[in-house]
Amino acid sequence: MATPALVAESSALRARGPRGRRRSLTPYLYIAPFFLVFGAFGAFPLAYTAFISLFDWNPIGEQAFIGFDNYVDLVADPRFWNAAWNTVVIWVLSTVPQLAIALVLAAVLNQALLRFRTGFRMAVLVPNITSVLAVGIIFTQLFGRDYGMINTVIEFFGGQRIDWVAGSFSSQFAVSTMVMWRWTGYNTLIYLAAMQSIPRALYESAEIDGAGPIRKFLTITIPQVRPTIIFTVIVSTIGGLQVFAEPLVFGGQAGVTGGQSRQFQTLALFLYEQGFRNLEFGYASAIAWALFLIIVVLTIINLALSSRIASEK
Amino acid sequence: MRSRRLVGGLAALATIGLFTACSAPADDAASSGELPTGQTISVWTFGATGLEDSMEAWAEETGNTIEIKTSEFDPHHEQLLTALASGAVPDVALVETAYSSLFKPSAKYFTDLREYGAEDIEGDFLDWRWAQGVADDGTVIGLPTDVGGMALAYRTDLFEAAGLPSDSDGVEGLWSSWEEFVAVGEQYTETTGEPFLDDAGVFFQTVYNQGDEKFYSADGSELIYESNPQVQKAWDLATSAAPISANLAAFSPEWNTGMANGDYAVQLAPAWMLNYIQGQAPDTAGLWNVVTLPEGGGNWGGSQMTVPKEAANPALAYDMLSTILSPENQLEVFTEFGNFPSTPELYEDPALTGFTSPFFSDAPVGLIYTESVQALEPVYEGPKERAILREFGLGIDRVESGDETPAEAWQSTLDAVALEVE
Repeated sequence: MATPALVAESSALRARGPRGRRRSLTPYLYIAPFFLVFGAFGAFPLAYTAFISLFDWNPIGEQAFIGFDNYVDLVADPRFWNAAWNTVVIWVLSTVPQLAIALVLAAVLNQALLRFRTGFRMAVLVPNITSVLAVGIIFTQLFGRDYGMINTVIEFFGGQRIDWVAGSFSSQFAVSTMVMWRWTGYNTLIYLAAMQSIPRALYESAEIDGAGPIRKFLTITIPQVRPTIIFTVIVSTIGGLQVFAEPLVFGGQAGVTGGQSRQFQTLALFLYEQGFRNLEFGYASAIAWALFLIIVVLTIINLALSSRIASEK
Repeated sequence: MRSRRLVGGLAALATIGLFTACSAPADDAASSGELPTGQTISVWTFGATGLEDSMEAWAEETGNTIEIKTSEFDPHHEQLLTALASGAVPDVALVETAYSSLFKPSAKYFTDLREYGAEDIEGDFLDWRWAQGVADDGTVIGLPTDVGGMALAYRTDLFEAAGLPSDSDGVEGLWSSWEEFVAVGEQYTETTGEPFLDDAGVFFQTVYNQGDEKFYSADGSELIYESNPQVQKAWDLATSAAPISANLAAFSPEWNTGMANGDYAVQLAPAWMLNYIQGQAPDTAGLWNVVTLPEGGGNWGGSQMTVPKEAANPALAYDMLSTILSPENQLEVFTEFGNFPSTPELYEDPALTGFTSPFFSDAPVGLIYTESVQALEPVYEGPKERAILREFGLGIDRVESGDETPAEAWQSTLDAVALEVE
């Protein structure tokens, strides 16, 4: 009895052959947008950049194959190491305080007694949706040597005016503040979300044991949001190593070189200088790949650290 | 079903074709010898060319519109490069002389203006200015705009306050060489406690532009930036002027403010700088005067107006360029804005040589700049001209801000240039 039905069904399937095939295509179509977009804006540029990096490539001129010469030159180029060092310094200067402040802010916003909580939570995200160029222009004016507000305040309190752009540390500090200002709120919200999933019972039992707010923050909140901290560290690493617009605007006329002594030229700026200013697209592509590798290495180190922390727990 | 879809598709194509045919009067007009109207001509410039009003006037006369995009100097050329490589180009783009040697080898990315009769007006322009827009294969990639003949503008009120003579004869008598000029500056700074110059980098460029060779030898075969005595001289003078400089990066917002506030007394001024001063410091009208430079004339700047290959309206673009760069119009631009004409027939014209500017205390600017330009010999500029100049500028900045001594900065500059040109 079951047999004819089966036969009928399978013959029906066979009859609907093309449609059956179409049905098996459906899941691929659903995920196709991601792969198409990733292919066009991720994989293809990556591969094409690798290809160009093997050439002496002038976009409106000659293009000659030179093998790995660009990479050999890059390793010997002091400007590259200078930019790499600046990038790391700016990354550390901006990320460490940024994440620390974000943690504290999130803990404050997580207080049940705080009034206008939603308002504050929205407010911390405002810097992040501000145009990076606007941030750059405003901060550059604040840090201005002759007419900047920060110098005016310093002078009011009897200090010496600082030529923020000209100095090495001062300029890196100024650029870091811009990065910090934009991203602290974003990390705050991520921490806040993590903190809200911490069971209240933990805090309650700690209170019974007589723990104060600081004690609770250090021994409950931070260990509980540790995986989130690791996530934000990785995301900040990827973003922080590609800092571009802030130092570009901050440097004004000498923005692309990151100041008169390349004192705050990041890797992304160095890439731009070589590619779009000097028409050395091959060399710029080699820099792009070096930057990519640096980010991969640092991310792997981060991951290794994070899995060790997780297993310790 | 498939065939029905095909028919539908063909119908749609045909409709599009119809619309296209309707909306393409431009081609018809061009073939009948008339220029199209109702078009938008996009123009990319940097700084103030003094030609903006002329372009608007041309557009009004011919029934077209103009869309001008102004960027900063280096970013402008970077954007142009990207545009040329991608094909999303404007109809007209300015290319400054220091950059023209970088773009000229890529002449195939520009419209050869000979196609539109550029050779007929070649004789209107200074030979060497014309040649700056001609590629090795003879392609004319651009028409010359102004000439950057050089002079010196100073604030009469500040000179007076410092106890210096303020009339032009008296000021010219203060110095016969750049060294004496620096000495006067030191005296000024000592008396007033204020800076004498805006920027040592501007000083460097002025003296460097007085030479008959710059970073390349005259035939372009070798780099001589390290050995050229004129470069060395410009360097020594500029770095020695660091203590009397306001250290304001030229063309920065701080520089603009400083100019308007009278934070410094002397502005070394290629002709186009007069346009800048009047634009940035309109309240200082009548407080400036202009005198000739010590140690002769020179050229700083000037551009070619080019029409990229993929431009939408090359014929219209050429018509506009040949109109606004004609001798008559360049004379008008000079009297109104200060950008000095590149058309030598005007150099005999009393309307030019007799021109005095009320903004600059009725200084005979027409005569001053004519004399500065007439003696000019063409100077070779190589493909890395701008890149090398930028490194020298950064080196002088390092001296100005006290980061390095002049000797240290000279060495670090040579190292940096070596990396650029290798």
